[in-house]
Amino acid sequence: MADDKNSPEDPQRRDFILNSATGVVAGAGVLTACWPFISSMNPSSDVLSKSTTEASLKGIRPGESKTVEWQGKPVFLVRRTEKQIAAMEGDGEGKDPQADADRVQNPDWLVVVGICTHLGCVPSRKKEGWMCPCHGSVYDNSGRVLSGPAPTNLELPPYEFVSADKIIIGRAKS
Amino acid sequence: MMNKTASIISIFSMLFIQSVFASSSAIPLADIEVSQDQQSIKRGVLVYHNTCRLCHSMKYIKYQHLEQIGFNESEIDKLRGNALKTAAMTRLMSDDASYELYGMVPPDLSIMAKARKHGPQYIYTLMTSYKEKDGVYSNTLFPGIKMPDVFDGSTYTDSATKVAIEVKVRDVTEFLTWSADPRAAERKNLGKYVIAYLIILSTMFYFVMKRVWRRLDE
Amino acid sequence: MKKVVGWIDQRFPLTAFIKHELTEYPTPRNLSYWWNFGSLAGVVLVIQIISGIFLAMHYKADAALAFDSVEHIMRDVNYGWLIRFMHSTGATAFFAVIFIHMARTLYYGSYRAPREIMWWTGQLLLLLLMATAFMGYLLPWGQMSYWGAQVITSLFGAVPFLGDELVIWLRGDFTVGDATLTRFFALHYLLPFIIVGAVLIHLVALHQVRSSNPSGINLADKDNIPFHPYFTVKDLFGLCVFLTVYSYFVFYNPNLFIEADNYIPANPMQTPVHIVPEWYFLPFYAILRAVPDLLGGVVAMGISVMIFAAMPFLDRSKIPGGARYRPFYRVMFYLFLLDVLVLGYVGANPPEGYLVPLGQVATFFYFGAFVLLPFGSKMEEKWLRERGLPPEIVALMEGEEAQKQDRRKKKERRKGGVVSDDE
Repeated sequence: MADDKNSPEDPQRRDFILNSATGVVAGAGVLTACWPFISSMNPSSDVLSKSTTEASLKGIRPGESKTVEWQGKPVFLVRRTEKQIAAMEGDGEGKDPQADADRVQNPDWLVVVGICTHLGCVPSRKKEGWMCPCHGSVYDNSGRVLSGPAPTNLELPPYEFVSADKIIIGRAKS
Repeated sequence: MMNKTASIISIFSMLFIQSVFASSSAIPLADIEVSQDQQSIKRGVLVYHNTCRLCHSMKYIKYQHLEQIGFNESEIDKLRGNALKTAAMTRLMSDDASYELYGMVPPDLSIMAKARKHGPQYIYTLMTSYKEKDGVYSNTLFPGIKMPDVFDGSTYTDSATKVAIEVKVRDVTEFLTWSADPRAAERKNLGKYVIAYLIILSTMFYFVMKRVWRRLDE
Repeated sequence: MKKVVGWIDQRFPLTAFIKHELTEYPTPRNLSYWWNFGSLAGVVLVIQIISGIFLAMHYKADAALAFDSVEHIMRDVNYGWLIRFMHSTGATAFFAVIFIHMARTLYYGSYRAPREIMWWTGQLLLLLLMATAFMGYLLPWGQMSYWGAQVITSLFGAVPFLGDELVIWLRGDFTVGDATLTRFFALHYLLPFIIVGAVLIHLVALHQVRSSNPSGINLADKDNIPFHPYFTVKDLFGLCVFLTVYSYFVFYNPNLFIEADNYIPANPMQTPVHIVPEWYFLPFYAILRAVPDLLGGVVAMGISVMIFAAMPFLDRSKIPGGARYRPFYRVMFYLFLLDVLVLGYVGANPPEGYLVPLGQVATFFYFGAFVLLPFGSKMEEKWLRERGLPPEIVALMEGEEAQKQDRRKKKERRKGGVVSDDE
């Protein structure tokens, strides 16, 4: 070991570089190898495909509603009559005022997530809106909360009309 | 001494391992090579959809999966018609009708290319081995087969139609090979990097090891 | 960091343990690459457990759902195909590594005193591994899965008196069915952790008697070197080489070890033309079929797996070590290996034609080797002594003989008897 401690020919320094480099490369490999396992716990492609659901609006007459499933949740599709649309004008009379025009893309159709914003029960359809059987929250024909313990209006899912009688729920209007 | 005997054992092991995995089919299969050319696979989808789908389902292939082989949204929409995009490709004939005609439900084809030894070659050979004699159809690879000669390979003897039929069979074989293992290309690609990495790491560890062990001689 | 470790060391022998059992652990300096396979087996165990747990997050152990859930893993789950192929290739890798590990132990005589308990814990580990693999193979619920399980579970019917009830009890049903699948999944998940426990016992035994070495003779203390860094780095190098070969199969030929018939969903109404177990069971399968009687075949197969445990008693030679100084033993070893390969070939093919007598001859030779060993080893010892043993062997044998006499004298002294004076 006549070499200087830090000269490039010093065998100890060469060893250190080789060992560290190998350690780094090995460590990088180990970390990379973790990724497939972590990724496998993320939603699989069939679950992700459920992130959007096609819903047909065919056959729903004015005044009628239909419930479809999206990401495991119920979504209410309501075809509103002229009278119902007119009655919903304004910000609503509940604790979460919001203009009806801001809650629909096409005033004929109301699309809301059918889960009560109180504790998650599915509200029952009534003549002019919904009533939640669990604790009595009442919603109007724009999905706005009128009374009861629910704090906010029924949630609006992202959706897009792909034709006059078909929407894709889960995909925002592009 | 140990090395010489070890290599003799290795040779014998290879021979036996080879015989374990060697093909034991009595009828030779067509020696076609699978290319997984995307255009061929796409054509194969159409062959399946127009001909095979009457009787055979492909339950593990959903219409949306066709994006992976280069179909765009409108092409997929045309294929699926009223079926959902997330729906699998189902057969058209009902179970009752199948039992009446064939006494069985024709098997699903999604993984047929892996469910037979040398699957792609088997499928190709099967579909091109139909013979006709006095109006009776038979298949040299699978003598009691209930499937009719859907490509009419036994009827046409002129080379132009024969070639066209062989292309069809080739295309549908490529599609069925893809459908049995849609991740094959991705797998081999990733494998390149993994094995290259491991060879590099092995080499590095080799040199580290040599240097460490050299200390013993000091 | 040093402070944290110091805090722990006051309450838990962390540093002392690592120093004594790992970093400073004395290991014979002449260990060859054949000694890498023990640690490799440990790594494959970890690979199987990790890949298995992540598979279990998506697999459905229900006869109606199992096959589809595997396809779901292969197609929909992110990297599901990779984890699945790691697990299926890992099973083959596990047996390959273990068989080489066993062969090394047999060749070098590492099963002999004082390493019998290591050998027997190893035998137990082999049995646990075979059970785990057998149950795991049912889980994909393919044709081969189903019918392989059907055939092997019905073997238990050979047990006298209880046989039929035993089979039904094992299956949870009159045939292999949903009940069988669910319990096999539960046990397949459990057994690897029992294996981990048995591995720990195996390692405790190892650290008592220390590794053997290629010469078969216990080396002097000066010929030992610390495990770290010499063998940590050698094991890491060996691991990388192993992973390269393993990755070739995972990425480029994963279906080599998956029977085509297993890509057909299980059909209780139709048996495949050829029922073949996985390659690592083939020699034992051949032995099972070689005996025409059902109970005889089952007993023969059972003995063929268990007979290794008897090796420390069957080998009666006083010549230390394994094949290195013992030409007869070496020849028997290679012939036995060849015989196992022949049995594997017989097991892979339907029992027709020349394969039937071939399988029976190979089975006869398999057991014959073990039966011959007590006599052969003694004769070989006599022959070697007559020819003159190498001096280091003579020295070692005399040393061991002297130790034995010492122990006997000590025993008699303790008993209070007369000490026989040999001088």
